[in-house]
Amino acid sequence: MCGTNIAKIVDVEEVAKFTSDLPNVALARTYKYMCSNPGQEMITQDIKDNKLNRIVVAACSPNMHEHTFRNALRSAGLNQYLLEMANIREQCSWVHHDPKEATEKAKGLVYAAILRVELHEELESVSVDMCPNVLVIGGGIAGMTAALEIADAGNMVHLVEKNDHLGGNLARVDLTAPYLYSARDLLTEKITRTNDNKKIHVYLQSKVTDLRGYIGNFKATIDSLNGEMTKKNKPVEVEIGNVVVCTGYKEFDASRIVHYGYGKLPNVITSFELEKMIRAGRIVTKEGKIPKYVAIIHCVGSRSQEFHTYCSRVCCMTALKYAHEIKSANPECYISDVYIDMHAFGKGHEDFYRSSSEAKTLFLMYEKGDRPVIHKASPKDDCEMLIEVNEKLSGELIEIPADMVVLMVGMEAREDSHEVARIVNISQDKDGWFIESHPKLEPVATTTDGVFIAGTCVAPKDIPDSVAQARAAAARILARIAKEKIEVDALYSEVNENLCSGCRLCNTLCPFSAIEFIEDKRQSHIISALCKGCGVCVAACPSSAIKGRHFTDQQVLAQVDGLFGIG
Amino acid sequence: MSTRVNPTFIDNLDPFGAEDVQLCYQCGDCSTVCPHADEVYKFPRKSMRFLQMGLDKKLETTLEPWLCYYCGQCSEQCPREADPGETMMSLRRWLISRYDFTGLAGQFFRSRTTEILAIIIVALMTGCFMLYYGFSGGSIHIYDGEGAFLPSQFIHKFDLSVGAILALFLILNAIHMWYLVMIKGTPFPVSWWYYVKEFYQLPWHFFTQKRYSECEKKREYSFYMPWLIHLGLMLGYVTMLILVMVFIERLQAGPEIQWQVHIFGYLASIGLITGTVYFIRSRFKKNYIQYKKSHGTDWVFVVLLFIIVVTGITQHIFHRTGLPELANITYIIHLMSVVPWLLRMPFSKWAHLIYRPLAMYFSGIRREALKHQEIVLNSNPVLIK
Repeated sequence: MCGTNIAKIVDVEEVAKFTSDLPNVALARTYKYMCSNPGQEMITQDIKDNKLNRIVVAACSPNMHEHTFRNALRSAGLNQYLLEMANIREQCSWVHHDPKEATEKAKGLVYAAILRVELHEELESVSVDMCPNVLVIGGGIAGMTAALEIADAGNMVHLVEKNDHLGGNLARVDLTAPYLYSARDLLTEKITRTNDNKKIHVYLQSKVTDLRGYIGNFKATIDSLNGEMTKKNKPVEVEIGNVVVCTGYKEFDASRIVHYGYGKLPNVITSFELEKMIRAGRIVTKEGKIPKYVAIIHCVGSRSQEFHTYCSRVCCMTALKYAHEIKSANPECYISDVYIDMHAFGKGHEDFYRSSSEAKTLFLMYEKGDRPVIHKASPKDDCEMLIEVNEKLSGELIEIPADMVVLMVGMEAREDSHEVARIVNISQDKDGWFIESHPKLEPVATTTDGVFIAGTCVAPKDIPDSVAQARAAAARILARIAKEKIEVDALYSEVNENLCSGCRLCNTLCPFSAIEFIEDKRQSHIISALCKGCGVCVAACPSSAIKGRHFTDQQVLAQVDGLFGIG
Repeated sequence: MSTRVNPTFIDNLDPFGAEDVQLCYQCGDCSTVCPHADEVYKFPRKSMRFLQMGLDKKLETTLEPWLCYYCGQCSEQCPREADPGETMMSLRRWLISRYDFTGLAGQFFRSRTTEILAIIIVALMTGCFMLYYGFSGGSIHIYDGEGAFLPSQFIHKFDLSVGAILALFLILNAIHMWYLVMIKGTPFPVSWWYYVKEFYQLPWHFFTQKRYSECEKKREYSFYMPWLIHLGLMLGYVTMLILVMVFIERLQAGPEIQWQVHIFGYLASIGLITGTVYFIRSRFKKNYIQYKKSHGTDWVFVVLLFIIVVTGITQHIFHRTGLPELANITYIIHLMSVVPWLLRMPFSKWAHLIYRPLAMYFSGIRREALKHQEIVLNSNPVLIK
């Protein structure tokens, strides 16, 4: 009944009565919350008392509670795959208004489930060994955090970094928002610990060129990028059980926005160029003068239809940080902050925003899509450039004086991200970010078991979020290593060797690269640990040689018959 | 045509008291609580925005600060403590200095030392002059009549000449205000008829302070206390000013009290003493948000007025109780505070006595003219570009 979720539309008593009259049904019951402990105990008890051999639960989506009810079957000593769920909540009570028709539909769904469950087979899950070594791709803050976490637990980590030093994008930053901690301090500790850790093997100027195998049993090839091929630079092959991808981001190319004159106007610079100046301790124009007016423009490349529609998340606070840094370096300087919306969502951010106002930063708002235009000022002006913009809060068309303009360039996916995605077999979204297996509940896992993603290669994020993701990925991997073996759901497909003609059609179609071709037998073979049971190969096989376990043709057809009231 | 923002302008406003305006992020809370905000809810935040952006050319032509009477609800409501009420107050101070073509007002608002020094110098000069005049022709033992230390005929002439100087500056500043508001700040034609039609606003708002009474909807009494006290103080002040300027000779004639004039003098004194005591006490106690922050000029205003009222009353008591020496001395102290007060009038907070009703008058004219302009434009769509 799911409280009133189902019972308010569907007449559950009538469905139960209808069900109990069906052939092969020994018992039909209703209960207020079947997923609750008493509900599950009731199922277990009924199985024992009535020697039941198949169970249908008409409730919510199997996504929600299949796991729960499988446990109930297991505790009664019944194979867990002899369960079928009829979804009369999401597919019925939540989407219909007419109780009468909804009840009829519920009956149909239950009948279909009964016909299907009759054909269910007892299945056993398989288990494979878990190699405790881990591959981490990317030596930024996320990569090093994950590597240290895993290595500190006593496991071998291969940390592969493309550059000749560790630290990633954070190594280009001076202070961090909003607490103004030094990025150098944050990094130095991590880099030293990474280099000193005997369990971490750091490969600088290297990249992963190949990854084969499946969860617990991968083989990765690490190639040196360091020019000449000496003996030392030969590709290395390592055995690993899990992978963490932390390849980071690259900054938006500001010259793509012609309005801003980046590359043409000498004192229009990017945020990273300003970081460089701040790190060098001298904020000056190209002519070597201390700027009187500095304008900071937000959302460069972000939140626009032409470039990236997403928010880069760190620029607002970084811009405020610049206001603080410039003002403390030169108190005579006037800072205009030209923004669309102030995204101050994180811990301490709102206070930081307020303190920037206290430091007399002039905040000027522009309409998304109505971008400011920078042009050179005339010689009689007391500034070098003028920024023309429709100021939204006052409704005035204004000119902002500036001697230096800082463009807050957004984050974008690295140009080689598709190559990484192909090698480790994960997907990318339209912007090139790697896709997590569930955006809310599985933020660091991917659709490839054993491959995790963390940090800014997933989406723009700040340091705390990147570190949290890296630690989350490490925790997931450590839990698996601790188990030593990995259990794989029995829902995988199998090739009937007697029927397979070796056409290899399925090999290329498999979205999980789970099908290998056995050369000497000239037949395809499905690696059960990699297979997710999606059924693409089953549908594609011209010889009908592949069977999807738990989704056999007979089972599916019986369910369809049931839905149409046949049989 | 785009307007140039001036990030440095905000620094100039600091000494006028607008220290917190940069905290404002234009959420509009102030406009939603303000009983004077209109439908479009731009009051008072529009002025705050112009101030943040340094649009001084727009600010000097606006009437908005004069339309605020500082009930302080906006400042209580402000989530960022940007203090819109105090910002409007600071803008009024700044506007007084803008209208003043001599630049003295700006000096006084910016530096308390300058202001107090100027007051002391004028006070000493007045004192010396009065002593010199008194000893050269009269006797310290006589207050009125033949041989008086400071004869009332002389004081009358002296008052009128001080009044003339005051009026001259005040009129010139008011003309400057008119020019900024009605010529520079009004981009459409204004017919002379609206000046006539709206003229009633001037005395109406001067004597009732109607708009002030509409401040703050939640209140302890059925009227708004600060408004009532302020009105009493202002009416007392104006009555006393008229008495001193016109009827001084009858006021000082003795020995019998001339009730036709004295009754007004006593009533005015009650209004003045109640008002000054109330405002000084409030500024000390900071019991209402509008009295939490006191600019130097606010203190000078109430304290100097209090001294004037107290010395005025005291010299009157001494005179009527037959103590002419004490009466003469107190009277000199009284004059030493009155003269700098009067001469300072056009360059100080005091000038709001004139600017506030003028602002109501001008805004009435502008509103009528705008209405007419819309009718013209609507009937001739060709004129709308």
